[in-house]
Amino acid sequence: MSVSRPNVSNDLIWQITRNQNAYLVRRNTGGGSQFSRDPLNLVNKHSFKYSGFANNKAVGVQSDENGNVVLITKKPNNTQQPAQSLVTVSYGPKTSTRKIYKGVASKTAQHGYRADVREEAVSRVSALRRAGLPKKETPASKPRGAKARQAEEKSE
Amino acid sequence: MRTSVDRPLVRASVKFSRDRLRSESTTIQRPARPCTTAKMVAAKKHVPIVKKHSKTFFRHQSDRFMRVGSSWRKPKGIDNCVRRRFRGVIRMPKIGYGSNKKTRHMMPSGHKAFLVHNPKDVELLLMHNRTYAAEIAHAVSSRKRVEILAKAKALGVKVTNAKGRVTTEA
Repeated sequence: MSVSRPNVSNDLIWQITRNQNAYLVRRNTGGGSQFSRDPLNLVNKHSFKYSGFANNKAVGVQSDENGNVVLITKKPNNTQQPAQSLVTVSYGPKTSTRKIYKGVASKTAQHGYRADVREEAVSRVSALRRAGLPKKETPASKPRGAKARQAEEKSE
Repeated sequence: MRTSVDRPLVRASVKFSRDRLRSESTTIQRPARPCTTAKMVAAKKHVPIVKKHSKTFFRHQSDRFMRVGSSWRKPKGIDNCVRRRFRGVIRMPKIGYGSNKKTRHMMPSGHKAFLVHNPKDVELLLMHNRTYAAEIAHAVSSRKRVEILAKAKALGVKVTNAKGRVTTEA
């Protein structure tokens, strides 16, 4: 176990953990797929670019039970204290979506943080916002063909 | 070398595939049929799915003898007519029957299946609801299926077996 981590590069961590880690979800259906449950993974895709634990700069967008959109970022210098290295910003359910986009985009891409994942961060905010919207009730299915005729006979 | 003779043919096929794509997009825009499942996000546009051989390959003479199972075995006999590819005999599977890589494992809807056991698994598909559809694992109870379906509806994820165990027979 390395107590001080400065000698351990991000690439090394990825090489060690890419085949087995707690966040990895593998399936054989659909030709085999790999996903990641990492809260700091913007697209839930198992890859080095999007992995939150292997990059010392990572961005996560989650929604909580109150309908807030929570932006999580990592402090790049404090790798030894993972619990304290997270910075969260939460946007309430009444914040306009465009304002959240703006906040997330600037937090992600400014000051040389992670400009490469800015688009994904914004699209995830969009997806979460859409998921939070109330959904219409699906109409009950009308019987067709033989079943419709049966139902008609019953009603008569 | 492409000759002048086969060029019009190629163009015709391209046009045909374009027409197919256009007709698909028009089908998507039609009003949704009333059904128990929620109207989900349509899959990404893709090249038409072509199945070069849609029938199952049965083992030669499995139709004649009870002791010969139907799973495919390559005939090895020296005189075997199937092995020698005689006219009018069953076709043998071969690599050329493989599907286009872009449409491989794709369902007719254009999605790929992803097995889910709980609502948390559905969350993985939040950013992939146009490429993957959730398929509820067989051992999940009806009570938990309802939770999974609610989650999938919120996230706009298609569920392939949404009616299983949830609807009751009238």
